[in-house]
Amino acid sequence: MKIAVCVKHAVDETELKLDPSGKPQMSGAASKMSAFDKNAVEEGLRLRAKHTGEVAVLTVGGAESRKTMKEALAMGADRGILITGDPLAMDAFRTAELLAAAATKAGPFDAILCSEGSSDTYSGSVPPMLGELLGVPFLGYARKIEVEGNTARVERSLEDSVELVEVPIPFVASVVSEINEPRYPTLIQIMQASKKPIEEVQQETIPSRAIGRATMVSMSAQPTSRKHVMIDGSPDEAAAKLLDALKKEGVI
Amino acid sequence: MAIYTAEHRRLMEIFHPGGHEQYSEVLSSLGAFMEREILPISPKLDTGETAISGPRRSLLEQGICQIPFQQEFGGLGLPFSVYANAIEMLATADASICLSVEIHSAVAEGIARFGDRKQKERFLPGLLSGGSLASFTLTEPASGSDAGTMATTADAKGGEFLLNGSKMFITNAGEADLYMVFARTRKGPSCLLVEAPNPGLSFGGDLRKLGMRGSKTSEVILTDCRVPAENLVGEEGKGADYAKEMLHAARIIVAALNVGIAQTAYDKSLAYARNRRAFGKPIGEFQLIRQKIADMKIGIDAGRLLYFYASRMKEMGEDFASEASQAKVYSTEMSLMVCDDAIQIHGGYGYTTDELHRHWRDARLLTIGEGTSEVLRMLIARKELARSQ
Repeated sequence: MKIAVCVKHAVDETELKLDPSGKPQMSGAASKMSAFDKNAVEEGLRLRAKHTGEVAVLTVGGAESRKTMKEALAMGADRGILITGDPLAMDAFRTAELLAAAATKAGPFDAILCSEGSSDTYSGSVPPMLGELLGVPFLGYARKIEVEGNTARVERSLEDSVELVEVPIPFVASVVSEINEPRYPTLIQIMQASKKPIEEVQQETIPSRAIGRATMVSMSAQPTSRKHVMIDGSPDEAAAKLLDALKKEGVI
Repeated sequence: MAIYTAEHRRLMEIFHPGGHEQYSEVLSSLGAFMEREILPISPKLDTGETAISGPRRSLLEQGICQIPFQQEFGGLGLPFSVYANAIEMLATADASICLSVEIHSAVAEGIARFGDRKQKERFLPGLLSGGSLASFTLTEPASGSDAGTMATTADAKGGEFLLNGSKMFITNAGEADLYMVFARTRKGPSCLLVEAPNPGLSFGGDLRKLGMRGSKTSEVILTDCRVPAENLVGEEGKGADYAKEMLHAARIIVAALNVGIAQTAYDKSLAYARNRRAFGKPIGEFQLIRQKIADMKIGIDAGRLLYFYASRMKEMGEDFASEASQAKVYSTEMSLMVCDDAIQIHGGYGYTTDELHRHWRDARLLTIGEGTSEVLRMLIARKELARSQ
């Protein structure tokens, strides 16, 4: 089974700082593999372990994204394809276009896995566009993927239900974090990852369709206001009041 | 909380301009593992709610002990300073696991340096990959710093040694698969490997300690313990020299361990000083708190540079005994000062919260273990006087 996994080298959202206006300071921020992408890589590796074959990792990014590529290779992927470009300087459609072109050239693949959204912009729009551009079924929010013969059975984790879908391969799926627990590469695997092949593709070599482009107008942190509720009384009374308050808020 | 920080990355760039990118990849991956798997369970290791064996095994399987060893025996062949940095990071996550791993690794270092090829092939791959655990047994009930007076004996009898005696304050006792035992033969102190289980090997109860409570410390009792002659490490009668050499390297690691403990106490103090308010402003705005923060930071950075410096000397094949001892004396005493200041900054919460005072309790061991500050000051002075001649 040939599997492609799309990953993104993104800012580390846990280290992100805001400027006084509440705008995230993306420039110079610490970066890493987008959090949920590890789940996509892990799922690719699990499918390969069951069906044999290969896992190729695709990414659009600059020199820094080689770190993410190497991390995926250390986890166990076989090869990498790096399409040069800054994903934050292009819209989701262009990113999908580049990934689709690279997947077509390096494929064909039976499954193309992405995460539900990147941990920086989290638009979640690249995976469905990728499915559309490749002309294959797209399954979003996958929490379980099984492949038998030429059919994939996918459980989709929707807001208040789980949908079970069967599709013919090839397909594109975006996975949610509950699908698996990503493995940690051992130090030996990290050292060996340097020897695995990474093919570089210049984004200029991939034509861009003349369509209307989405432009990011602004990005700002979601302000959160606290209610500052003070609960008094004896420990037993306070615990009962806290329980009531949490129930009223719908937390429990 | 990031365990492999920008400061670590910068130090790698400075000390290893040629290989820092690869070393940083290794360390940052290890740091991510520690953040998720070790740091969250650290308070429970201190209280005994979580046993050390599972997380320690996972950590060893990740490959932390492989870092400085030769590739042909399952190591990664990376510089010793990279390993020392990994140890600092581990102590930031949890000091008890770090102590246990440090002792384990010291035995591997002893086999790698003084063992024969057969011993290296037989023991190192398992020790380095986490398949087995080791324990270093030198101290006895009546001899600590004065190891030359050891009373444990190893009598040669028909192709084997018969060991009798006891070893005290032994980390990993009762859990280890391999014990490096120093015992007196007719030629003097010698180094032997005792594989567990062995009918002649038994253990005292787990000693209740001030700190490092996640790691096990017990007496190791040897009663007619039979060990094949092939398990003699190096030459008979050279055990005291080997122990000394092994301890020099271990002292760099203990220094790194203490820098890690101090870093954790410092990070908590910084956060508290920013958030705790008194007289209408954060306490971090008061001069006397700022003085403490400055002194803590100076101590940590100086400790880190000392252990990096001693590590680089070791890597370059130079005599690093004095530098290792300097790093150990300074970092263990600095870390006690930092942890004490952390308690002071936290006030009543510092004195009453395990999460704070356990760092001081953990740090308190290491001006004693692996060479007391007093003995090491004598060693440093002796070395420096000799160098000045």
